[in-house]
Amino acid sequence: MVNDGPPAPTDVEVVARVLGGDGEAFGILIRRYEPGLLRFATRMLGNPDAGADAVAESLVRAYRHLAQCRDPARLRSWLYRITGNRCRSHLARRRTNDISLSEAPPLADASDSWAVLERGEQVALVERALNALPAEKREAFVLKHVEGMSYEEMAAVTGARIPTLKMRVHRAREALLAALEELV
Amino acid sequence: MMAMSPIDPRLQEALDGERDPGTLPMDLREAYARLVGAANLLQTLPAVSVAARVMAEIHDLKPEVPSVRPARRLMRWLARPRAVTLRLRPAWTLALVAGLAAILLIPTQPTNRPSPGAQEGIAQFVGHFPGARSVEVVGSFNDWSRGSLHLRDEHHDGIWHGAAVLPAGPHEYMFIVDGERWVPDPLAGRYVDDGFGAGRENSLLIVRPAQASLDEDATLR
Repeated sequence: MVNDGPPAPTDVEVVARVLGGDGEAFGILIRRYEPGLLRFATRMLGNPDAGADAVAESLVRAYRHLAQCRDPARLRSWLYRITGNRCRSHLARRRTNDISLSEAPPLADASDSWAVLERGEQVALVERALNALPAEKREAFVLKHVEGMSYEEMAAVTGARIPTLKMRVHRAREALLAALEELV
Repeated sequence: MMAMSPIDPRLQEALDGERDPGTLPMDLREAYARLVGAANLLQTLPAVSVAARVMAEIHDLKPEVPSVRPARRLMRWLARPRAVTLRLRPAWTLALVAGLAAILLIPTQPTNRPSPGAQEGIAQFVGHFPGARSVEVVGSFNDWSRGSLHLRDEHHDGIWHGAAVLPAGPHEYMFIVDGERWVPDPLAGRYVDDGFGAGRENSLLIVRPAQASLDEDATLR
């Protein structure tokens, strides 16, 4: 028989604990949201190290300004918003949104068919296609199809209107499909 | 440069969860599978963690929450000094402004209540929230902490107002209506980005030293 133990504290409860002086409780939020935030930032910046920097900066900022989180029940959206903003700042500091050749994952032999490629090679190809998208479309695609957000939550994260986000996702799909067909 | 062409709306609908992908023609089903497969590949989690780094960085930090200062501000706010500067409103509030001015001009007995220091001023907050059960103000001056500055609707007409002694200078603020709805002051006149992206803005209030306000009979903003 499995003992489920006490239920995990809600975000609202953890935020209250942190604001009440229990700084260690912030670790609960980090464990809860770090994986997704790292994935999001890495996909946005095309580089895991840059993604880790952006997430670390975002989490420290979130901790310092936690009292300004207007709806702790929607903490996830708030954290993604801060991280997305941080990623945009990182991208703005770059001369180009394209990752450098040294950062780019090695391309598989394009003569190989998709089916016979190793998973790592498939990931590298898809990452390359994703990185070729403009930042806004990349963000929209990642939030929708990688982070699995609804358009409503995407609007909360990005501040963009839902019709705008739908258009970005649609355009991202078209570009990604074209890029994948070209790469493989 | 990759060639990009619009893809079939039925494929978009399937990817948006609005259509059963099983009903797609074979060629669209292949494209559907390719995009879904690509998204699945991108869901691979990075094998890094910043948890230790973040916890080390925040170890010596504290969230910007109030401790003692808001209570002190609350006491001073309750004391309600008389040196007031009004924030001018659009036309619909002219009557309100006139009413407030009348209140402010009522002579009062000299008291021992604290008055603003040389570098402090009094901020008047007024909002029109008909039907609201509570309205409070949070801002940079109280570390965005709730519970320290509640507005009152004394005449039950939806006009909520209150005042606070604040250090001279700019202060960002927001109204919280019914304890949950964050609302910028629609009449603030000045707004600043809240710093968290997404284009949201805080209202901005500029408090002038009370003495200067008295001298000049000036407005706060």
